[in-house]
Amino acid sequence: MKVTITGEIRAARPRRPRPRRWRITSLEVLCAVLLLALVLQGWLVRVLDVPGLRTGATVFVAVCVQAMPFLVFGVLISGAIAAFVPASALRRVLPGRTALAVPVAGIAGVALPGCECASVPVARRLMQQGVAPAVALAFLLAAPAVNPVVLVATAVAFPGEPGMVLARFLGSLLTAVVMGWLWTRLGRAEWIAERALRRLPDGDGTPRWLVFAETARHDLVEAGGFLVLGGLTSAALNVLVPGELLASLGGQLVLGVLVMALLAVVLALCSEADAFVAASLSALPLLPRLVFLVVGPAVDVKLIALQAGTFGRAFAARFAPATFVVAVCCALVSGVLVLGGVR
Amino acid sequence: MRRETQNILLVLVGGALVKIAVAGTFTRYVRPELRPWLIATGAVMVALALVAIVRDVRAAQRRSTGDPSPEHAHGHEHGHEHGHAHAHPGGDAHGHRPSRSPWLLLLPVLAIFLVNPPALGADTVSRSDGRSAAASAGGGESAFAALPGDAVVALPLNELIARTGWDDSGSLTGRTLRLTGFVVHQDGDGYLARLAIRCCAADAAPLKVRLAGVDVTALADDQWIEATGQVRPGTGTKADGYVPTLDATSVRVVDQPADPYEY
Repeated sequence: MKVTITGEIRAARPRRPRPRRWRITSLEVLCAVLLLALVLQGWLVRVLDVPGLRTGATVFVAVCVQAMPFLVFGVLISGAIAAFVPASALRRVLPGRTALAVPVAGIAGVALPGCECASVPVARRLMQQGVAPAVALAFLLAAPAVNPVVLVATAVAFPGEPGMVLARFLGSLLTAVVMGWLWTRLGRAEWIAERALRRLPDGDGTPRWLVFAETARHDLVEAGGFLVLGGLTSAALNVLVPGELLASLGGQLVLGVLVMALLAVVLALCSEADAFVAASLSALPLLPRLVFLVVGPAVDVKLIALQAGTFGRAFAARFAPATFVVAVCCALVSGVLVLGGVR
Repeated sequence: MRRETQNILLVLVGGALVKIAVAGTFTRYVRPELRPWLIATGAVMVALALVAIVRDVRAAQRRSTGDPSPEHAHGHEHGHEHGHAHAHPGGDAHGHRPSRSPWLLLLPVLAIFLVNPPALGADTVSRSDGRSAAASAGGGESAFAALPGDAVVALPLNELIARTGWDDSGSLTGRTLRLTGFVVHQDGDGYLARLAIRCCAADAAPLKVRLAGVDVTALADDQWIEATGQVRPGTGTKADGYVPTLDATSVRVVDQPADPYEY
């Protein structure tokens, strides 16, 4: 067996015959698509010249442009972990018992000042380096929600309500820890796609900076596509979800909580911006808005797409709904404790 | 997808980010502060792709010259043939099909280079009436600085609405203001509007001022204008949903500003 630095395993095999010359590869397809797009540009622009589509296109590009720096930040950290942090060092830092390591990983999320796009490749790399999946998942859920940038943004968005910051912090941390423990009890390794867990060889002679560059490049290409998919979904729903929906929710608490939780999933806002959106929904009481803030960074369409791409569909199909339920419950508990009720 | 194609896509995406950052059109999508980060991100993407391309080319050269060094075998292994890694016979039967997801990276590239989507405007304002940036603008503080003493004061909409909604000291009374925004027609009224963003255009929330005393029916939605006039006292409070009325004396058509949003 030979293992490459990007984690692809292949059996030793005789050299295959080279592909024949006329075979169409992705390179030719790419050139054809680009040419076609250039030729059809005028037509494309005309077709898109409908107010709703124009708005959708702008939101789509905005989500992608906003998220790319964070994703690149994430894959660089992921590459650095792969190249420079040996698995043994991570094992020394984390408590040996998974049940203890989960909350430690949750609190360690404070140190990654990015939004959710950055944490997926990092969590995957942690798993590859031998960190227990439950621990890496706790980190994945906590990092986008409890870091200082997000907490300061929340404090700025809710100037009269310092309790919101604490409630958000506790709700999100609780979500991460509960999900980590749940995974310890119920999670099965085979739900996670094998490609996500393959171990990297320690020192196979490749220079470390090359391992770094190749890992980052590979993660970026893989995750980037799914990020775009998430941006597309988010843009479509941004245009399709009617604004009056929210205004009509005023007094209905249960419905308000549910709708806000679902809205957090479909809008897929950056965790650094969602507090301002929540603050602007002043027709609603604080509790549903807290649910919005706790659910959003833990599970949204962009994250589900990224997770499905990184850890496999079988994983995302189980993890995302479970996280949704746990996040709503944790937000309610934290809201009642910190905010003292619905308000 | 082949490794070469992935690298070309990365160069295209990185190039698109640098292009909108340098050309200034990125302010249609994100906050102006993000410019250096966009350039850095684009540069990193292009650099990662270039490192891979150079490695592949050198590995291919070594292979063709028949260099038997171990580096050769390695470069060959995950260099040129990486894209065909899925085709190997043994090993993992499940879940290792060729990855098609990177194709999606082409969408933002095409959107930026071909369609070049405009800044959000009237359509967003009429879609997001359930939300208002104004509702979050206020707060406990009542310390509004005095307006400058000029005869005509240029005021951003978010500050104007914060003052009509939460400043009891009457700092706007009798003052002539100049407001910049785009035209929105709603229910027979003409509005001057602007969108406030916090992170990117996905979280845009509208700010509106109703225009009275001038006729803007001749102007199309999204036309940028500059309106001069006085705020009608008592408007722009919770009662009217924080939409002040401007008794305008003049309206002038202007170009879209470099920063289309307020922050």
